Amino acid sequence: MLSRTASHFYWMSRYLERAENMARILDVTQSLAMLDPSADSGGAMTPIVITEAQKEFAETGLAPTYTNVVAFLAWDRVHSSSIRNCIEATRENARAVRGSLTSEMWENINDTWIALQEKSRNTDPMMTGNEFFEWVKERSHLFRGVTFATALRDQPYHFSRLGTFIERADNTARILNVKYADEAPDTFDEKEDQQSDYYRLSAVLRSVSALEAYRDTYRDVIDARRVAEIMIFDPKLPRSLRFCLDQATLVMDDLPKASARVPRRAVAELNARLRYGSIEEVLDYGLKRYIADFLKDMERFGSAVNAAYMELS
Amino acid sequence: MHAIKMPPPHHFDEMLTAENSVAETRTHSYTNRFATRDHYNAYAEWLRSSPEQMLTQRRAQADLLFRRIGITFTVYGDEGGTERLIPSDVIPRIITAEDWSYLEKGLAQRVMAINKFLADIYHDQAILKAGLIPREQIIGNAQFQTQMVGVKVPHNTYVSITGVDIVRNNDGKYYVLEDNLRVPSGVSYMLMNRKMMMRLFPELFLKQAVRPVEHYPALLLQTLKESSPIDNPTVVLLTPGRFNSAYFEHTFLAQQMGVELVEGQDLFVKDDFVYMRTTGGPQRVDVMYRRIDDVFLDPLAFRADSVLGVPGLFDAYRKGNIVICNSIGTGVADDKSIYPYVPDMIKFYLNEEPILNNVQTYQCRKEKDLTYVLANMKDLVVKEVHGAGGYGMLVGPAATAKEVAEFAEIVKANPNNYIAQPTLALSSCPTFVESGIAPRHIDLRPFVLTGREVRMVPGGLTRVALREGSLVVNSSQGGGTKDTWVLGE
Repeated sequence: MLSRTASHFYWMSRYLERAENMARILDVTQSLAMLDPSADSGGAMTPIVITEAQKEFAETGLAPTYTNVVAFLAWDRVHSSSIRNCIEATRENARAVRGSLTSEMWENINDTWIALQEKSRNTDPMMTGNEFFEWVKERSHLFRGVTFATALRDQPYHFSRLGTFIERADNTARILNVKYADEAPDTFDEKEDQQSDYYRLSAVLRSVSALEAYRDTYRDVIDARRVAEIMIFDPKLPRSLRFCLDQATLVMDDLPKASARVPRRAVAELNARLRYGSIEEVLDYGLKRYIADFLKDMERFGSAVNAAYMELS
Repeated sequence: MHAIKMPPPHHFDEMLTAENSVAETRTHSYTNRFATRDHYNAYAEWLRSSPEQMLTQRRAQADLLFRRIGITFTVYGDEGGTERLIPSDVIPRIITAEDWSYLEKGLAQRVMAINKFLADIYHDQAILKAGLIPREQIIGNAQFQTQMVGVKVPHNTYVSITGVDIVRNNDGKYYVLEDNLRVPSGVSYMLMNRKMMMRLFPELFLKQAVRPVEHYPALLLQTLKESSPIDNPTVVLLTPGRFNSAYFEHTFLAQQMGVELVEGQDLFVKDDFVYMRTTGGPQRVDVMYRRIDDVFLDPLAFRADSVLGVPGLFDAYRKGNIVICNSIGTGVADDKSIYPYVPDMIKFYLNEEPILNNVQTYQCRKEKDLTYVLANMKDLVVKEVHGAGGYGMLVGPAATAKEVAEFAEIVKANPNNYIAQPTLALSSCPTFVESGIAPRHIDLRPFVLTGREVRMVPGGLTRVALREGSLVVNSSQGGGTKDTWVLGE
């Protein structure tokens, strides 16, 4: 398989996953805003902070309101991680390798792109917000489903999955980082304001489709420590760090091994830390530090994958 | 029941016969009473018996499918949505078995002679020594690649894939308008048109035998593999990338043949062998079906600023370590200034009479011809010798006096760069346009493959000028396409 083809498959999936994650984050932000419209506008900036888009947002000169933040992250043409640009990039990568996609996969992503063009002509982003985010999630689910149902289990498929799980792990870690590390640095004592905490935490869980999983697993009130635990260590939750790294490890086993010693070691180390770690250790070490380490190691893993398979020179 | 607009008298229509058009066209109105040529009878019968909305509905269905599948081409310099659909008409162009058998023989003959001509001018130059073509017209031609002189090309096959543009004049005869010997495109539309027609109108294909074309990619792969001296060679398709106008076709053909679609950056040359970069390490490439022009192939041998090509490719080619299809330097034979000599080539190399007609061509480089062209410009089509895509040309009868005068100055400034031909009427075919079914002008591009033998699928791509009265069929200028049916014997 061509190195460039591998790269297109990998990035195609990463961008689609990124679009979906952005939709999830914005969806939750919006529902929190509706719960308490009088709250200060600091919360509105959370999605900007999670996706590290502070600089880009500042350059637009827009006021930090929910409406502006949502419009920016969903539709901005300049911001490379806006949902619009992520879907464009997904389709561009797919188009570059459309001969290697199944026709169902291509038609699905092309349909998504055509519909996005139509939606982009729609005017009020806040009015169509929730519906739009649901649509993005649904299209992402559909594409993964079509891929699962039609793609040959060969290298293109493996690279596509690798892109999905690397992007997803990165995103879950960022949500943890912002929702926790900044607001409640490393301490998980009883909160004074139980109610607002409940909404905040359940919003975090919903953003990674984990609210039902939390209830099934703990059958208890939502507390910050368990939320962190399930998002980091749960092997059954498809958006937990553990799950993503388990999958990435499996994918690496299916890829050519000759030149892949470095990325294989990187993923094994990351995986081992999640497999044999515990939430107590994490809290002792400091959640913020733990997540920062994790993100740095993920980046190292990503570069190693790139060097092993996708570099053109 | 559909009403049809009749073609003007004296025009040759593929479907409608001249006799009954005379009475009807006085009013230029639409009519339900029309007579058809025999080979269109079955189709006409079906058309007469189908309800009027049916074509509209099925065309809408077809548009949706084309858009969904993303069968698009890119228009350069067209802002906002650079990807466009090529309109595909729902009324087929039908060719009789007899006509096709004639065309097939003529095409094979023509392409064989052209291959011998290319081998000759890059080696012995017998045709120049015999004085049939002026030496300076070859040697001084911008498309003549001096680096190719003396280079051995496997089986002397310079052109593996040819697209020959054929039109039909008022007299009902076929004429070759030009030979496309560099990177002819459009075959994917031929294949998609057939796929779409079979999906939309299955009943039509049950009514009569239409010869299949779907095996074209298999023939192409066979041709490419045969071009290499080694067994089971690794074949790739080289594309300039997804911003190229024909990118859809590149992906389509690569996928249908099951070969890698590569860009220049995917390839490298080491010790005069060509490799592609894969996830499992470098892999040797033996045959390259390239869809980029000569000058971009290798920045070391040709244009130094090319980022599309592969440095060192030409050396690997010269040493026989890779086959490039079509070969480098074939453009000299499809230059419009060389076109008038093709009938001479057929006589010279094959000792046969040309089967297909050439169009009478005036070469402005010759003083006598230039005088004639300048005096009769309003009746002629004047073309740049290297022009393509319908640009850089003047259609005399359709131009204003001012346009003719301006173009005359351009020609006078550089006569060597122009040829002129009488304006051919171009046959028409009923086409489903906004106002209903009306005649539109068409041409035909069959694709000829040369491996160990010459092969082609019956028919080719029919292009149609969708604007009323227009003779320009190029997709970049408002042309569409039609499915082309060659009937069984």
